[in-house]
Amino acid sequence: MTETFRQKGTLPPGFLVPVRDGETDEFFVNLGPQHPATHGALRLVVRLDGETVREVVPHMGYIHRGIEYQAERCSALQSILFSDRFDYLTAHMNNHCVCMAIERALGIGVPERGEYVRVIVDELTRVSSHLIFLGSFGTDLGGTTCFLYAFKMREAITQVFDELCGARLTMNFYRPGGSSADVPESFEGSVRNAVKTVREGMKEWNDFLTGNVIFQERTRGVGILSAERAIALGCSGPVLRGSGVEFDVRRKNPYGIYDRFDFDVPVGSVGDVWDRYMVRVEEIEQSLRIVEQALASFPAGPWRSKERVSWRLPEGSWYAEAETAKGTLGVFLEGTGKSDRPWRIKVRSPSFSNLMALDEMCRGGKVADVVACLGSIDPVIPEVDR
Amino acid sequence: MGLMESVPKVLDPIPGGKRLSDAVEYVVNWARSRSIWPLTFGTSCCAIEMMAASMARYDISRFGSEVFRASPRQADLFIVAGTIVDKMAEPLVRLYEQIPGPKWVIAMGSCTVSGGPFYYDNYSVVKGVDRLIPVDVFVPGCPPRPEALLKGLVELQELIRKSHPLRSPEHGRLAADAPVEDRWTKAKQAWEELERIKDEQMAEARAKFAAEHPDYRPPKPARKEKPAFPETPRAARPAPGLPFDEVVAAVRGRFPGLALFGAAPSEAEPDRVPAFEVPCDALAETALWLKEGPLAMDYPVFLTAVDRLDRFELVVRAMNSSTAQQVELRVPVEKRFAEGAAYDPAAKNQKYDAVAPSLCGVWPGMGWHERETWDLMGIRFEGNPDLRRIFLKDDFPGHPLRKDFDMPERVVPRPA
Repeated sequence: MTETFRQKGTLPPGFLVPVRDGETDEFFVNLGPQHPATHGALRLVVRLDGETVREVVPHMGYIHRGIEYQAERCSALQSILFSDRFDYLTAHMNNHCVCMAIERALGIGVPERGEYVRVIVDELTRVSSHLIFLGSFGTDLGGTTCFLYAFKMREAITQVFDELCGARLTMNFYRPGGSSADVPESFEGSVRNAVKTVREGMKEWNDFLTGNVIFQERTRGVGILSAERAIALGCSGPVLRGSGVEFDVRRKNPYGIYDRFDFDVPVGSVGDVWDRYMVRVEEIEQSLRIVEQALASFPAGPWRSKERVSWRLPEGSWYAEAETAKGTLGVFLEGTGKSDRPWRIKVRSPSFSNLMALDEMCRGGKVADVVACLGSIDPVIPEVDR
Repeated sequence: MGLMESVPKVLDPIPGGKRLSDAVEYVVNWARSRSIWPLTFGTSCCAIEMMAASMARYDISRFGSEVFRASPRQADLFIVAGTIVDKMAEPLVRLYEQIPGPKWVIAMGSCTVSGGPFYYDNYSVVKGVDRLIPVDVFVPGCPPRPEALLKGLVELQELIRKSHPLRSPEHGRLAADAPVEDRWTKAKQAWEELERIKDEQMAEARAKFAAEHPDYRPPKPARKEKPAFPETPRAARPAPGLPFDEVVAAVRGRFPGLALFGAAPSEAEPDRVPAFEVPCDALAETALWLKEGPLAMDYPVFLTAVDRLDRFELVVRAMNSSTAQQVELRVPVEKRFAEGAAYDPAAKNQKYDAVAPSLCGVWPGMGWHERETWDLMGIRFEGNPDLRRIFLKDDFPGHPLRKDFDMPERVVPRPA
């Protein structure tokens, strides 16, 4: 391979760093599309100089399902169903974002109880997604037991969702104006149980992984992303906050009733893998705080506003964004005024923009750190590809 | 010739040897069905439920299948968890061929069974993984619950126990050698037969009941009261950052005459973000000023395009990362037809070119968004250093999000 590209004078597609003169011996390593560390069907081509990474080129599209094309041929309400499937770990939040775009288009409001349900369920989804991150990140770095502990905590939250809407993963629960049904009677009890389980589990977790010296050595100072580059590349969520930028849509541009709750936005200082990990660990605690506050003032009353007879979208375009566990999710919706089908739906997915920073993080590091960097971005590949 | 095939050849001629080889077969099947090692393969949602099935609550190790292998060379079972798209088809078949026989396949989830929610109006999803590799057990659901996957595994164990590895070897079974069979029609016929039997039995039971209870009248169902929901107006606060008018004044101070796009904030929608209609040749300059001027729009939110039939319209959104102030740019991009050709509303797959300046130099984060827009819309961005297709295969015909895109050989339209 080395000889071939030297002779041809061209690099494989995607590589932009020019070939260096001298005695270096560069070669290419393929990771994926089927590789346990790539979190799904992602292919990475890593350009190595010995064991040092010179450039990483991700190849996407192995799970490109054409959701935007299909959503243009369905009504805007039906696109809530597709939103479950781009980032299945944060299905409720994706539903929320699509609903907000439709609500903005049609001027629909949400009653008090509906907003509270959304906050509680969204924050539990964030915790559940971060728990999957903790499990898979620990496994990426070689600790297979991590998954078992993380899933033990996550099952308590899945139980809440199961009682809520009968689904464990692809929820399809929210509707413009509220949700498809009221919460069951067991809701508050199960949420309290989930909060308790996660709190206790995280204590154990911090003892065995966060405080682990080997784990810290493996993550500190690895994959550094500066704040300027994180902003320039459009990173969001824990990747951006790990680099020290205090940006959270819930704080900067609060949607729903997020301005009523007291929570901190954790930020990192160095921008390495460890910071991104710690931001997520801290966010779990902050989300639990929000859930507790919301439960304390959970109002009775109607859970959704009056149902529409016609869902025809007026002419114009609307953009709504929400802070999901991965970062800023945006839904751009355009209507024609003639039908309930959107003329165009574009999803600004956080993992897509975050994955752009992978090359930046990995350059100059060792090949084993590529897995740590990718894990710390926590990409969900169907959301990258859509 | 494998070891298995030689067992009956040696034993069968001996008196009573057939029973001995049957016993060998029983033991082999018993051992195989209780140590099925799956391959770690998941493309999307179903993979999470597959993981959940292997965790403490559902505990797949009760069935001897907890050893998930990362390499196909050490696996027996291929659980196809998640949607398979056109680009993934080739790696999938290669993975299947790399698994040493005997091997089994479970198609997990609606997408792998038939295309599922992505069957209609979709240009990229493979409509059922059995079009690529032979499948032993189908587990429907979107996604199936872990219990369903475990049930599929138990079904597979049953299948293995009933197989005859000594007499009909399955070693080295390849996708190309497997006979093609129309499982869907067979399943449909079997289902219709079951429905017919059920209907007959029900009719019989009804007639019997009516004969035995001639005065029976069914009770009226209690009508559930439908809750009345209030009419709630949308409550929103103004968009963060500077007020709308100040942003417009600032932009017009530098670029006088720049037209506003869309409505100004109203009572129903106070959070409208200022949008400007920028000509294509002024885009680079406007973007650079937005980033480096007083508004300091340093954060690229997204870039996309809308097909307006006779032209494209780029949508560019940028943000100030400290105040969360956003600005949107709308850029008309003309469709350039070859000499003598013009836009025809009825024609499909028209040939034209569209060019826009790249914004990579201003916001590096727009790079992949431009690649996506090129891939799906077919707008070339001059100045993007790496303008390749991002999602689709390099030889994909056309750009699917153009409104004149047509691909009847792959896209099944949803019946009205």
